[in-house]
Amino acid sequence: MSKRIIVMLIALTLLFSVGVSANTITLNVLEVMTSPERTALLWDLIAKYEELNPHININLISPPYEQSDQKATLMLNTNQALDVVEIRDYTVKQFVNNKKLTDLTPYFNEWAGADTLSPVAMASATIVDETPYLVPQAIFIKALYVRTDILAEHGITKMPETMEELVEISAAITDPAKNQFGFAWRGRGATMKFSDLFAAVYVKDLADAEYIYSEDEKFFLDPGFKEGMELYVKLYKEGTPPDGVNWGFNEQINGFVSGTTPFLIQDPDAIPLIDSLLGPDKYEVIPLPVGPHGFTVIDYGFTGMGIPSYSNHKEEAWDFIQWISSVEQNGYFNEHWGPLPVHSTTFELNEHFQGRHYEAYSYEMANPDVFLLKTYPLASEKWPGWGMIHETDMQSLLLNRMDLDTMLQKWDKYWTK
Amino acid sequence: MRQRSGRYFFLIMIPALVLLALFIYYPIIEGTLIGFQRYTLFDMSNTPFIGFDNFRAIFSDINFSFAQILLNTLVWVAVSLLFQFVLGFVLALLMQKPFRGRGIYSSLVFYPWALSGFAIGLVWAWIFNGQFGLANDVLLRLGLASSPIGFLSDPRYAMISVIIANIWYGIPFFAIMLLAALQSVPSQLMEAGKIDGAGPVRRLFSITIPYIKPTIVSTLLLRTMWIMNFPDIIYAMTGGGPANSTNILAMQMINKILKFYDYGQGSAFGIVIMVLLFTYAVVFLRLTSDKEETV
Repeated sequence: MSKRIIVMLIALTLLFSVGVSANTITLNVLEVMTSPERTALLWDLIAKYEELNPHININLISPPYEQSDQKATLMLNTNQALDVVEIRDYTVKQFVNNKKLTDLTPYFNEWAGADTLSPVAMASATIVDETPYLVPQAIFIKALYVRTDILAEHGITKMPETMEELVEISAAITDPAKNQFGFAWRGRGATMKFSDLFAAVYVKDLADAEYIYSEDEKFFLDPGFKEGMELYVKLYKEGTPPDGVNWGFNEQINGFVSGTTPFLIQDPDAIPLIDSLLGPDKYEVIPLPVGPHGFTVIDYGFTGMGIPSYSNHKEEAWDFIQWISSVEQNGYFNEHWGPLPVHSTTFELNEHFQGRHYEAYSYEMANPDVFLLKTYPLASEKWPGWGMIHETDMQSLLLNRMDLDTMLQKWDKYWTK
Repeated sequence: MRQRSGRYFFLIMIPALVLLALFIYYPIIEGTLIGFQRYTLFDMSNTPFIGFDNFRAIFSDINFSFAQILLNTLVWVAVSLLFQFVLGFVLALLMQKPFRGRGIYSSLVFYPWALSGFAIGLVWAWIFNGQFGLANDVLLRLGLASSPIGFLSDPRYAMISVIIANIWYGIPFFAIMLLAALQSVPSQLMEAGKIDGAGPVRRLFSITIPYIKPTIVSTLLLRTMWIMNFPDIIYAMTGGGPANSTNILAMQMINKILKFYDYGQGSAFGIVIMVLLFTYAVVFLRLTSDKEETV
């Protein structure tokens, strides 16, 4: 009996696979910014696409987030079957170096969607060698999240417009005895994206620089950089829970939602999370405070899709990418995931992005003279290790194991060619 | 007949040997080679052999002092092992005698061993959270602390905190292994001891421990290796911080690969761990077997 069933199953499988391979093409798609919600969202979009294109069968591969970039690198370097790969700001240069990505210029030239890409999305697409190796799917930039209800309890209604004001208000409301602090510190993971905000806005020359710092041009020994760092240290000592040294993303969100730290600097993907934990009415998102020179620095992050250079189904892969990158699908995707959509027109067409929590982000992108878009030298070989070094040094600084001058000298030396 | 069965055993071992060669020996050799190559994710098309450069780099790293990482590793292994063993032994002795609900009790006790280290790390990270954590809440309510303690953000407490999590995790292993060994101690021996007038403590040290010594030796050896290669809890709780205070060799190996994308230096750390553990195993086995002869 059971033997018969097995034979039947095998026969069925064979029949089915023959049928499938005769008529349909399977596209292997690898995502890297995996989360259960986002994976479900992607399957949702894939189902729509498959319905429109019955001859395409999409196989979505979703490695756990912690090891996904490694997985992508390994799959690409060993030429494993892959037709669409998600590429991040952190990995794009490395993939190009290893000659694993298709130059999408011919596709871009034909693609109507390219015209409506926002400037920051266009910059993301062409970040390596000014060549489009990817179609961006989502943009991350930072803004200031404020628990207006908590601030009101302390009689504060004026929102901080400068970094100095942010630090002053944080220090003013801090009262450890009542477990009240000001700022949701970031002590673990991508710590430079927070300290550099404070330091960079004090460096006047940074307005004209390509990167926040790089081997070619760096500002660690600029008196302004030190001033900004001193302000940031002051924020820690006077307006942050001491435990902040060990805070990552989850702790930051927890501090904000619990009201312990009513100021938080985050990317827009925090919005759906905070909405679900706190509700949309108890907080506001406002543009980042500026520095003494009237500008603030925004480093942008992105994720996008590209085609491996060795894919056998490039045309089909492109068709899927251009479909999922359309104003409508990309708007839907980001509306439910959280980051900013890549088309300027989405902000006019999609109601969700007209909501008040997104105003600050639209405002920042519309005023590039004040909100200077800068990136990090992601192409530098010194970049990957920098995060760990920065994190450890910042902890040493805040725990009084290293002084500021020594640290800045050390950083300057690290970024010297 | 005996010869034939010898050949037969060799034959049936071949599949296992092939699997071992494929999944253990080959990766070890390959991984060792990478330790002598410039091998970064950044540029995988260019991976020349560079002699001992990776080792020189990790020994003289100004950002992550090798001496401190080594010292951290020693503390992490020694303290975790000592308490896991002692508490696990006590637990095994307690559970040796039958009592009502022993089955349920023992499965509850052994539960931590079934969890993933990373998940345990996440749970303990919240317990020891310096702002919202359970440990702080209890201490504050009992009046044992006047302000929240930064268990994971203060270098003075960080190592102790991760070790406590590790002890909690590792006790069941010793309890299981030692309980099994204890049950093999013949009751006649105990009876004889009793008749000769030996008290419980004397019986423990003169009968029980010598009898289960092989189990003790092998579990201690195994656990030393596992603890040294077990950065999961640290990875989830502190990532090696703050300011390097919980960074152990295995943690730094992972950081070199996941954060620095430097497989060469990561493998160099792996080789250092391998050499240390091998040396330890040889010394440990020699010491413990010498003692056996004098007994």
